[in-house]
Amino acid sequence: MRLNDRVFGMFMLILAVVYGLEATKFPEPFGGSESVGPETFPIILSFFLGISAIYMMLKPDPDEAWPVTPMLLELSGIVLAILAFAWAIEPLGFIPAAIAIVSYLAWRMGANVKMCLILGVTSSITIFLLFNNVLELALPLGLLEL
Amino acid sequence: METLNFLMQGFAVALTPESIMFAIIGSILGTLIGALPGLGPANGVAILIPLAFSLGLSPTSSLILLTSVYAGAMYGGRISSILLNIPGDEPAMMTCLDGYPMALKGKAAEALAISAIASFIGSFIATIGLVILAPILAKFALKFGPSEYFALFALAFATLGGITGKNQFKTLMAASLGLMIASIGIDISSGVQRYTYNTLELFEGVDFIIAIVGLFAISELLFFIEKHAGEGLKTVTVNKLKLTMGDILKVLPTSIRGALLGFVAGVLPGAGASLGSFISYTLEKKLVDDKGTFGEGDARGIAAPEAGNNGAASGALVPMLTLGVPGSGTTAVLLAMLISLNVTPGPMLFTQNADLVWGVIAALFVGNLVLLLLNIPMIGIFVKLLSVPPKFLMPIVTLVASVGIYSVSHSALDLYFMVGFGVIGYILRKVDIPLVPVILGMLLGPEMEKSLRHALVLSDGEWSVLFNSGLSIGLWSVAILGLILPIIVGPIIRAKMAKSKKVVAS
Repeated sequence: MRLNDRVFGMFMLILAVVYGLEATKFPEPFGGSESVGPETFPIILSFFLGISAIYMMLKPDPDEAWPVTPMLLELSGIVLAILAFAWAIEPLGFIPAAIAIVSYLAWRMGANVKMCLILGVTSSITIFLLFNNVLELALPLGLLEL
Repeated sequence: METLNFLMQGFAVALTPESIMFAIIGSILGTLIGALPGLGPANGVAILIPLAFSLGLSPTSSLILLTSVYAGAMYGGRISSILLNIPGDEPAMMTCLDGYPMALKGKAAEALAISAIASFIGSFIATIGLVILAPILAKFALKFGPSEYFALFALAFATLGGITGKNQFKTLMAASLGLMIASIGIDISSGVQRYTYNTLELFEGVDFIIAIVGLFAISELLFFIEKHAGEGLKTVTVNKLKLTMGDILKVLPTSIRGALLGFVAGVLPGAGASLGSFISYTLEKKLVDDKGTFGEGDARGIAAPEAGNNGAASGALVPMLTLGVPGSGTTAVLLAMLISLNVTPGPMLFTQNADLVWGVIAALFVGNLVLLLLNIPMIGIFVKLLSVPPKFLMPIVTLVASVGIYSVSHSALDLYFMVGFGVIGYILRKVDIPLVPVILGMLLGPEMEKSLRHALVLSDGEWSVLFNSGLSIGLWSVAILGLILPIIVGPIIRAKMAKSKKVVAS
């Protein structure tokens, strides 16, 4: 199967067309239009992206296997976990958020639960102390502030 | 003479206690990054940039730190090639050929020491080459007008896939994507908003540091998890070192030849470190392998590719510093740091920021010496680190990368962007689209567009201006050659490299 490249190429072709059309709709810069405006370069780019997208669809390379559904869920879980960590840094504080993310990642990579927690706690506290005290970059304390 | 004066000033910068400290820290970190599984040099340098940035280091200090990391990563990459027959990065592949057989013979420590010495010679000679060539090239580049620069940027993209590049159209696609990301934000020359959709956060464009860390570090994490590669490599032990002066002298000519070849490969667009180590190995095999011992653990078979790839690594700094056009992933990341520190690389760098450039060049000498001195006694420690399983390492690397990004502007939004780029990077790698041109596109996009517009404004919209000087026609021809040659000779060279890879595997 050579589906990957075909599908991806199609998306890129759509992107190229949309990107190019958007460029033609830029408002005219103050002081009237010139021979080269803000739209010139993007239009050239959309042309090149379009060509390579069409080539990709016509002559696709062999596929690299996509992960099966459980693995896709697993990867989505990882992505969501990092997003949650990003959200949690300020309200919850760096240390709790970091313990959670490091332990979770280590656990998903196959470490046992005890090792995960040890790793999470030690690395988070070390990095917190290193950043706050040695490098003087303040990280939010969050819940621990009280 | 002038050059020597500048170099002396450079040493005055590089030999301050602060600079030496950064060179030592950088070398150690670099070797770790090179040695640890799952952290390529580009990835490692990328993670450190936001840290250097938010620590408020001066441009000189940050650049000394990161070039030492760069040099160190080249040293570190060979450790797993020799001990485990697993190249840490692509250029280290050729080191496996003789390194691993030598380790099997119980001479792992000697193999590591020889490779450290050859690496040192490679970098040292190539840095001398850099001192000689860079000012000449910088002076020459002052002749470049906007249309020449535009051609030069096109050349950089055309040759980025390298002579061994597989699918030129995918490189082209990657470069277009990068350039398109760069076009997001308020257009500097006309003030028109482009692709911002009135989102305040996009007015200043997409921060390429965030993109780089996301594309490299986060996508790497996802790949590790998908491949269940958390367990890591087996533990190895190293014998006690018994190296005589004679052994060193024996590999000296090979190292010097390898260094020179590597330097040339590094400077030339499209060649790069992989080809540097490949050419020097093949040449040495033809030249000195009269008894057919290459491939069975010949020390010269380690020295040649190691000198070659380190020579190429320093050589690659020449186009990056003088023209602002990097030729490899890691030099692209170094360029990213220069740009974010408000230092514009290019010919003017040598006149406007002479202290910085020469300080960094001198620091390369210092860093290499530090690396040699560190590597021989501390090799045991680095070897132990090799067996740290990624399941413990990758979570911490992810944490450090995120903290770095977070501390630049204390905003969770930047981290969301980082994760977004990680997912994009994962998808791009799945469809085999190279990431380096994407990054290069993001970095060079503004400058490339600016030179196109300057050229066209000067000529009143006449497009032929892009081809009207001998110099720009020359650059365009090289660019076209760079696109076409890989289609013709690429399969041949790839077949040869694959053949030698098979020898390793068997």
